Parts: sequence; C-alpha cells; structure tokens
Amino acid sequence: MNRKIGVYICECGPNISEKIDIDKVIEAVRFLNDIVVVERYKLLCSEDGKKYLTEQIKRYGLTHLIIAACSPRDHQLTFMEVCENAGINPYLFQLANIREQCVWITADKEEATKKAIRLTKAAIGRVRCHSPLEKKEMESNPDVLIVGGGIAGIETSLQLAHSDRKIYLVEKTASLGGLIKNFEKTYPEMHPCSISIQQKIETINKTNNIKIFTDSEVEDILGFFGNFEIKVKKNTNEKDSVSFNVGAVVFATGSTLFNPNKTTCYGYGKFDNVLTALEFEKMNLSGEIVLKNNKTPKSVAIIHCVGRTEKGYCSEICCMYSLKFARYLKDKIPDIKVFNFYSDLCIPGKTHQKFYEQTQGKNIDFIRAKNIEIAKKGEHLTITYNDEKSGKNNYDVDMVILSPALEPTADTARLAEFTGISLGDGGFFAEEHEKLGPVSTSSQGVFIAGCSQGPKSIPDTIIQAEAVTGKILSSLIPGKKIEPEVKVSFISESFCIGCKTCLDVCSYGAITFNETKKVSVVNEVICRGCGNCVAACPSGAITLKHFTFNQIYQELKAAIQ
Amino acid sequence: MIKPAASSEKKGAVLSIKTTIQDSIRNLLKKGMDQGVFDAVLIPMRVPAGDSFSYVLIKDKSLLNNAVALPPIMSVQGAKAVSSVTRLGNGTMKIAAVMRPCEIRATIELTKLDQVHVENMTLISIDCPGVMPILDFIREPEKAIKLFENATKSWDDTIMRPVCQICDKSSMIAGDLHIGTLGTKKDAFFIISNSKKGKDTLEKLDIPLNGNIDSWQIKVKENAEEKQKKRKKTHKDLKTKIGHLDNLLDTFSQCINCHNCMRVCPVCYCRLCYFDSDKVKHPSGEYLRRAKEKGSIRFLPDTTLFHMGRMMHMSLSCVSCGSCEDACPMSIPVAQIFSMVADETQGLFDYVAGRSSGEPLPLKTYKKDELHEVEDAHD
Amino acid sequence: MTKALKLTKNTEQGVREFVKFLLEKGNVKGVFTLKKINQKGSVAYSLITTSDELNDAVPFYPLMPTNAGTLLSRFTLNGSTTEPIVAIVKPCELRAFIELIKREQGSLENIYIISSTCGGVYPLKIVAEETIEKNLSQYWDAVKKGEMNENLRPACTGCTEFTPYTADITVDLIGHNNLDKECVLILNTKKGEELAKEMKGEFLERELDKETLKKFYDKRDAAKKKLFNEINTKMKGLDGLIEIFGRCIGCHGCSTVCPICYCKLCEFDSSDSEYKPSTYESELKRRGGLKVPPGTIYYHLGRLAHMGISCVGCGSCEDVCPVDIPLSIIFKKVGESIQQIFEYIPGKNIEEKIPLLTYEEEEFTEIEE
Repeated sequence: MNRKIGVYICECGPNISEKIDIDKVIEAVRFLNDIVVVERYKLLCSEDGKKYLTEQIKRYGLTHLIIAACSPRDHQLTFMEVCENAGINPYLFQLANIREQCVWITADKEEATKKAIRLTKAAIGRVRCHSPLEKKEMESNPDVLIVGGGIAGIETSLQLAHSDRKIYLVEKTASLGGLIKNFEKTYPEMHPCSISIQQKIETINKTNNIKIFTDSEVEDILGFFGNFEIKVKKNTNEKDSVSFNVGAVVFATGSTLFNPNKTTCYGYGKFDNVLTALEFEKMNLSGEIVLKNNKTPKSVAIIHCVGRTEKGYCSEICCMYSLKFARYLKDKIPDIKVFNFYSDLCIPGKTHQKFYEQTQGKNIDFIRAKNIEIAKKGEHLTITYNDEKSGKNNYDVDMVILSPALEPTADTARLAEFTGISLGDGGFFAEEHEKLGPVSTSSQGVFIAGCSQGPKSIPDTIIQAEAVTGKILSSLIPGKKIEPEVKVSFISESFCIGCKTCLDVCSYGAITFNETKKVSVVNEVICRGCGNCVAACPSGAITLKHFTFNQIYQELKAAIQ
Repeated sequence: MIKPAASSEKKGAVLSIKTTIQDSIRNLLKKGMDQGVFDAVLIPMRVPAGDSFSYVLIKDKSLLNNAVALPPIMSVQGAKAVSSVTRLGNGTMKIAAVMRPCEIRATIELTKLDQVHVENMTLISIDCPGVMPILDFIREPEKAIKLFENATKSWDDTIMRPVCQICDKSSMIAGDLHIGTLGTKKDAFFIISNSKKGKDTLEKLDIPLNGNIDSWQIKVKENAEEKQKKRKKTHKDLKTKIGHLDNLLDTFSQCINCHNCMRVCPVCYCRLCYFDSDKVKHPSGEYLRRAKEKGSIRFLPDTTLFHMGRMMHMSLSCVSCGSCEDACPMSIPVAQIFSMVADETQGLFDYVAGRSSGEPLPLKTYKKDELHEVEDAHD
Repeated sequence: MTKALKLTKNTEQGVREFVKFLLEKGNVKGVFTLKKINQKGSVAYSLITTSDELNDAVPFYPLMPTNAGTLLSRFTLNGSTTEPIVAIVKPCELRAFIELIKREQGSLENIYIISSTCGGVYPLKIVAEETIEKNLSQYWDAVKKGEMNENLRPACTGCTEFTPYTADITVDLIGHNNLDKECVLILNTKKGEELAKEMKGEFLERELDKETLKKFYDKRDAAKKKLFNEINTKMKGLDGLIEIFGRCIGCHGCSTVCPICYCKLCEFDSSDSEYKPSTYESELKRRGGLKVPPGTIYYHLGRLAHMGISCVGCGSCEDVCPVDIPLSIIFKKVGESIQQIFEYIPGKNIEEKIPLLTYEEEEFTEIEE
C-alpha cells in the first residue's frame, strides 16, 4: 500500500512548545518510511488548526494522519472528524499523547523530548498497520420493556408513555401495585396511599400505548440496545407466549422481605402473634389489629433490623416504617403499649427526624437492644434482650412485629443472566457505577429502578424511575440511528474450535455459540471491545479490530527500540 | 456429568475368566451389544499389517473377535478417537468405549472444552501396566507382543514409556466402569462401577454389584504408593537435569519445531495452534534486528518459547500419557518434563486432570478466594 | 566457461571465510547457514550477523533439521528481506524455496544463494543416537570419492537432483578429492560474480565436473529405481496402501515439516474434514466397523494430489514420522510420476509455471481425443 503519513506536532500554546524541543522531534521522525510531511502548529484543535489540517491532508494527498498533542480523551474525536471530512478514514489516524503522558509528568525538557520522540514513533509504527473501519448504523426500536408493576415500574411507564412509544409492562402477580398496595398509609405524611396508587393504575389502564401483562413473566431477553427481542409467557398457561421487540429494558422487580424463618431467635412460624411487617401492613389495611384469639393486643413489640447481620446491610426504610407501625397502633388502639427494639436507628432525610420526634411519647418506648430472643409465656410472648445500659432485661408483650431486611426477588438472578448484567452487593442488580451510573448497568440499554437496585424509600424509587426515563428519552430517540462500537472482536470461523473459553470470559454476553457450525460468534453490536476474548483464546483465533496483534506489536516495538 | 463415587462407596462385581481376560472382556461387550445395551463399541484393533493398533468403532459383533482391550501401544490417544466421533454432537448410538485410564481422563478434560460429548458413551477403563514406545513395537511386533504379555502378568514396567514407569494413576477410575485385573484371585477379574450410568449398565447386563473389591483397592493403593516414591525421585533428578535456563535451552536445543508433540497431545485441541499462526510470522527486518542484537539467532527462533507456551496452555489438563514423547523425532524427554510440571501446576489448584467431569478447569474459572500464597505476598 | 574463485583452504573453512568477508565488507548483513548449537553434534540453521558467530558455522553439514526452503520462505513471507543476506543451502532446499516463491510464499530479492553438489544427509535420529560425529569422516570419504553412502536418508540415497540449478555460487563437492586443501566457488551468475569480486583468491574458469557427476548420477539412479520398485510392490492397490499406511497415527507431522505444504490451515485439519455423528452412524451401518479417526489414507492421497507436483524429494517427511512409514520414497515416486507427465522439475526454473495450476489449451490432446 502506498502510504502517505503526515505528522503534526501541536504546540498546544505554551503547554508543549515550552516543555520539549519540538524541532528535535520533527528531525527524529522526518525521514522514517512513509512520512511525507512533518510540521508543527500552534493549536491544532482550534478552528484554524482544523482548517490547517484539512488543507494539509488535501495538499499532500495524505492517506494516514499522526498528531502528537494532548490526550485522546480530549480530542480523539475532534481529529477523527477532521479526517473524515477531509476524506481519510477516521481510523487511519493515531493521536500520540505527548501532553498528559509526557510534558505534564516531568519538568526535565530533555527527558520529555526523548519520550515525545518515542511516543510519536510508536504512533507512526502503529498507524502503518491500521485498517480503515466503517461506522455502522442501525435503526433503533424506541419501545421499552418494564419488568415489574410496582411503583417503580408504574412511574416509569407513566413518564415514558408521554413520549410516543410503546411501553410493555410485565407483572408476575395478578395485579399492579407491588408492595405499596398493601399499605394503608405511607410515612412521613401518613396519608392514605391506596387512592393515589389506584389513580395511577387507572391512568395506566387508560393509556393506549402502555400494554400490560399481569400474571406473566419474561421468558427470554435476546439482543442488544435498540433491538431487544422479548418473550413473555403467562404463568397460568405456558403455551400462551407473546413475542415483541423493544429498544430498552427496565428491571423494576422490587424486592421481597428477608424470611425470619432463617433465624430461630424470633420464634417466627413457631409462636402465634409473631408477624412480619408485610403481614402487619395487610392486617392493618383490612381494618382491625387483633391477636390470633381475636382479642385486642395490649402491648406490641416492633423489632427493627431483623436479618441485618445476616444480610450485611441496612435496608434504609425499616426504622421509618417501624415508626409508622407505632403510629398505626396508637391511632387504632390509643392505650396500647409499644416497644421499638432497634440496634441502630436510621432516620435520614429532611422530614424524618420530625416524624421520629413526633412518634415519641406516652407508652412508646425505644430500646437499643442486642441478642433479642422471643419465647412463649402462656398466652403472651417474652422478649429477652441485652440493653447496653442496664444489661439483660425482658418484657412481656402480646404481639411481636418483625421488620425484616429487604432482599432481591427470586427472579433477579435469572433476569440478570438474560442480559449479561451482574448482581452486586446483597444480590441486587449491579448498577454501572454507584455515583456515575446508578440506574444504568454494564449492558447498554438495560436499566434498573427502585428496590431491584437496592433497598430504598418510595421517594427514592420515584427519583430512579424518573432518572431511567431521562436516560431512555435521551438515548433511545425514535428514528435515531444507533452507532454500535466499531472496534469490536472478530472470531475466525475457520480457526475457531468451539471450546467456548471466550464465552466464559465475555463480561457483556456478546459471544454466542453457533450450534450448527460449532463455532463461537461475536455479536458486533453488543461487543464493547474489551479484548478479554482475544487474550483468552489459546489458538489466537480472535482479533480485536483496531487492536490487532500487529498493531500493538509495532507500536510497542517502535516505543522501546 | 460423571460424579465419581467415593472410594468407600465404589461397588463392583467379580467375574470369572474362562479363557483369557481379553476374551472375557470381548464376551461382555458382545453381550452388551446382543442385549442392546450398546449399539457400538470403540476399542483398539490390530491393523491388517500387524505392525500397529488403531481404534475402531465396531457395530458388527463379529469384528469384536479381533478387538484388543489393552494393546501394547498407544498409537492414537483414545481421547482423540472419542473426539473425532463426538466433537460435533452425541449421535443416537450408545457406544461403549474401552480405553486406558489416562485416555479416559483426557476425554473427561475434553468434555470441559466442548471437544467431546459423552452423554451416549459408557467410558470403560482397565488397569494399565503401561504402554510401550511405539517404535519398539513397530520394529519387531511379534517380539513386542510377547514382551508386553509378560509385563502384564508380572506388572513390570521396564519396557514401558518413561512416564508410564512413574505413573501412579494407572488404575484411576474416571469413567463409568473399570475393569480391575489387580488383586484378583486366579481366573477372575473385577468390574467396578463409578457412576450412575455404570451402575445402570451393569444392571442391564445382569451383573449384580455385590462383589468384594477390597483386594483390588489394596493392591492398587500399594502400586500407587510405590510409583509415587519412584515419581518423586525421578522428578527430583529431572529438575536437576533441566533446572536453570541454560539446561532447559540445551534440552530443547535439538527440537526441530515439527510440533508433533502438540499434534498428538489429546489436550491440545486448537484447530490452529497459536505457534503456527500469523502471530509468530515476523517480517525479515524483525529477524534481522534480533540477529544483530545477539550476533546470531537460530532460524526459526523461539523454539523453547513454543514449549513453554504450550505448557502454559495445557499443563492444567495434562494427563501424563506420554504420547508427545513417543512422537518426538529427536527423542527429547518432552513427556517427562511436561508431566513433572503438570504435577505442580495442577497441585497449585488441588486439581487432577480428568479426575471428575464436575471439576471445572482452574484456568478458566474465576474464584474470588484463591492463590493467597501468591497474591498476599504483594499486599 | 564460468568464472570461479579458488581459495587455498579446506572447502568448509574457505566458505566460512568467504561469508565472513562478505559480512565484514557489508555486502551482506546476515549469513543464513547451518551452525553447531550444542556439543552433541546438533546443528540448526541460523541467521548470523557477526564474524565471531560464524566460527561455529558448518555450511555443508550432512543434516537437515528443517528444510531451508521453509525457513527462507518464512524469512521473506511478509516481504522481501530489507537487507541483503547470503544463504548456504542444499539443492533440494533451494528448489523448495523456488517452488514456494511461485506460490507467493517468499521472495529471492536481495538473497544471494550458495549451494553445492550434495552428498546427502543423515536421518535425524542420528542426533539422538549421538553418532554423527563418528560418521563424519566416513561421510566425507564417500563424497570425495563420489561413492554411495548407505546410511543416508532413503530420499538422499535415491536422489538424482544433487546438482543445484539456480544458485549464485556453487561448490562442487562430489568426487573432488582435494576438498581438504582447496575451496572452489563456481560463480554461476552475475550476482555471484559481483559478490566475489573483491575477495582475495585466485580467479579462474571452472565448470562443474560433468563426467564425475554423471557417474554419480548413474549410481544414484540405480538406487532410486531399486527403492521405487520396492515401494511399488508394497503399494499395489488399496490393500497395499492399507499395509503401508495402516500404522499412520494422523499426526500430520509430515505436512508440518514439508517445505511445500504451506497452507495456514491444512484442509485435513479444518472443519471440512470433520464428520457429523450421523455420518459416522450411516457409514458404520454400511461397513460394520470404522477406524477412528477416519481418513488416514485419504489424507495422504490428498496431500499427494496437492503437493506432489512440487515434491523435491528432500525426505523431511519420513524423518519426522513417529511410526517410520517410508513416506519419502512414496511421495518422491508419485511426485516424480506426476512431474514427468509435464516434464517438470520442481524448482529448476523460477519462470516455469506450476503445471497443475496452469491452463494450456494444447495439452493432453491424446486423452481428450
């Protein structure tokens, strides 16, 4: 191939020009093979700079471009665009970082110049082996699948429904509403919540572009961002299966309660009148708070932090709803004696401290306790515990309410596997990044919202629902074309022996196995070009575009020779 | 998945030998085919010229008359034969495969790499006295047959491959069934079940698993301990011989890069070996640059790199069968070296290649908690 | 008459000094030749760039660890050599390189070739037996006298192409008694002349000793015919092939070391040669028994069909065979049979196209009519 490489060294104002001897760099590379021009310029990323490059490319009929300047993170795309507009394939370009990785790490001009020469030579060695790569474009499907009909799912559906796209809402139970439909009131306002949730459900039912599947589960998710293939089946009838395509998937599968059966000290399942929080909510919603023998309880203990040690995390909401329970009890049975046993009180947020203070008062005791044991004592229950102040103590109560930790639902693992996303701490869906990507996942186009991502309050759930909406609205625009990653892996069909080692190491689920040909195949749209498979294949049958063996080898060789 | 029964749970039967052990095995297989337990048998047979043996897939029972369950040589590693038949799937035939323990172990390793499918195969191993180097057989077949017969009777390994002479797994059961010829009374042999499939097969063959196999287990343990002692000493000597780079380079200096060792290895499954690919084909300038740096380079260079690379890729699955050394035209002790290193690499993960199909390959499996002795040193 | 350069050294030393001179002068940047690599008599081809390292060079050593044709092809596979080198290779290795060049697998550009009339090589197992040093004097005796050596590779015993065709410089070894006293480099080509121009020595006119070579040729030819006849009787029909190839273990070592077999992935290693279980089952039904892995003889026939036209009869295949199949004679015989139909000698003339890859309108008319 007749290569014509142009090398341009950016002065970057005083940044580079004062820190290295640019002329020495020019001299060092001027006579290398294929180099037709080497120039320096004040500021290549400026409008003038870009014009200059374009003019140079045309003038010398350059086939490849090298720029020695700042970090690719700054201007890789800028210069790739210049190439494209000037008629050079943007991948026949290499940017040598002689700023961040050179002049900004040493004050020694001589050393910096030497390194700048090596870096520029390395870029030249590499670019000689570059192949032109073509951008791909595909139609994206703007519709969305939302798995889970609790408030996260409901809220996301309602928000997205405004945007002219089909929403598919899949709920595994018979009705929408999730956990919240069992609550009489929510903290801290203590307003009845069933009305508002009913209103939302009615709106959904009336919204034409939201299609609801109840008593249904997702059977399979195939494909990739912009083009997922979904299969949903009815729980009651396996054969009743529906398929449709969407562009994004939201897992809003919520959470379930830690089963106190797993701990023996609370007597759950053994003794009467030991209830979980959900059982108590249901009892409270149905009207009367009564014991098993239909009598009204005179004293109730609410145990916080059930399962906290076992799970290893705090579930954020249980202290608050335990306070709510104290309120329920006081509202319905004014003379009742309430004990709140806790190990730590978790009362975050701007309104919750007030709620707590207002829950203090007559006959509501807050006891910081360890080693809680519940035993039967005739018709009552005895709670034995260790108080940090007064040592071992006990109380007799009529009813015990356990506030258990929140844990992920049973289908979390299965759904994660479909989409190649991981489970994080506690077994909840792993977000892409705690701070920088709280509702995205490692799979592009797969989002998480609400308690499926981790225990959280209703306001935080709504926040995440709206966040997911924002993410989807900005990335999955109807009519927009998606540009999948170009620098992806490629498996040689003739050399692949089908040992599936690459499948095991792909973090993105981008490799599938073709059973007919018995070879592995890379889905170029899902592949993120991480290179794990390239390293893992013992035969070397996999190549990473733009990071081929030769390209890396030549770059290294030129750098260290 | 073959989940091996614990030693104490292994069940067996004692069968009688009417003529020869080979005949008894053939009759058992014939019975299996008669009763429809097997549709075909994979077993070695002597080639028409009489100067070697090869694996044959037999459907016609009469061919079983010429089958030899324990030939004096290992021409093709059994796992390769299984792979050629089942790499692309299971098929519909129920096949009984009779092979040596190391061949079965290699087969088990290949199940973990999708290179064989043994759901429709019953893997039957047999106590192995070792295998003769193939050229010893080819040069004088009739003499070799007699030598091997005597060696089998006395369980003497002096005529066997060097790695066979220090093999402590020659009675290791990794398949479904095992034919035990050690520790038996005269004119008897054991058949031992190691899996549900093995048990079901024996049931279908009307062989009740009520025999006492203690004497087999005792003899096997005895043999293994003896071999382990020998193995330890041999490895120590070998380490001295090839320890240090100079010695290693010298040992491999005779290598002509024919890659026979890689090709006959049952575990080397790559269609195109990395070391045959474009990645090791450099431009002339590259070779000249290296030659100038050192004053001269062997051409082609990187001979020892091939062996180290191959070792890195397959050591965790090496079953020490010795096929590589048999195939080396330059008589380099490849198997002895690779086998010694395999003991250590596998030992690092408490892994024995082919011991159980349920054990995932250590190199491919991520475990959060592992190799502390290596990692902690860097904290 | 051809120009030649005579050096008053023993032949091996003379060649060594000549290439040292070339290296020091800068006419070449590297020397490609056999070199001792350990004390046991092992040699390997090496690319040598300094005079000192040339002291261990043994250019005409009777061993072929790898066919140099493959090596020169690998050296120039990704482009002609960037700097000039001189390569000392045997006639069959040179011919193999030429055949590979015809298939775009290498380039002669910037490579000077020194070759010799060749007395043959020993089988490689001589290295493991550590007897080569003992055999050397007997080897050179036979070469000097122009006599047959019965301990060589069978392929060499029956080799009639022991005279190189296209070398720039040829050293005539066979039948020359005074190899110990003098070294005569026959400068066949202009390139060769240019190369030797400034070397100190006696320039004279010399040709290859055609008479001596003819006598030797007749001996070798007789031996070849004998070997071919022997193999012919063994190879009759399918039964004969089964007898000979029955012990083949399918290692494909022969094709790995064959200089002509250049495919990245041999057809017989590719997925084309794998069979589905259903195929095994239907074949098994038909035949009652199947050797596995299958295709033993098919592989050899296929290889013969693919490379027979260019087989240079070097014998590397037989040396590497773990089960001692007399491959080299089989392939040599079948190869020559094909080559004779086209009156083609592989590697003789770089301009001559490969017959099986070339369409000629006027050809085989006797068959067609």
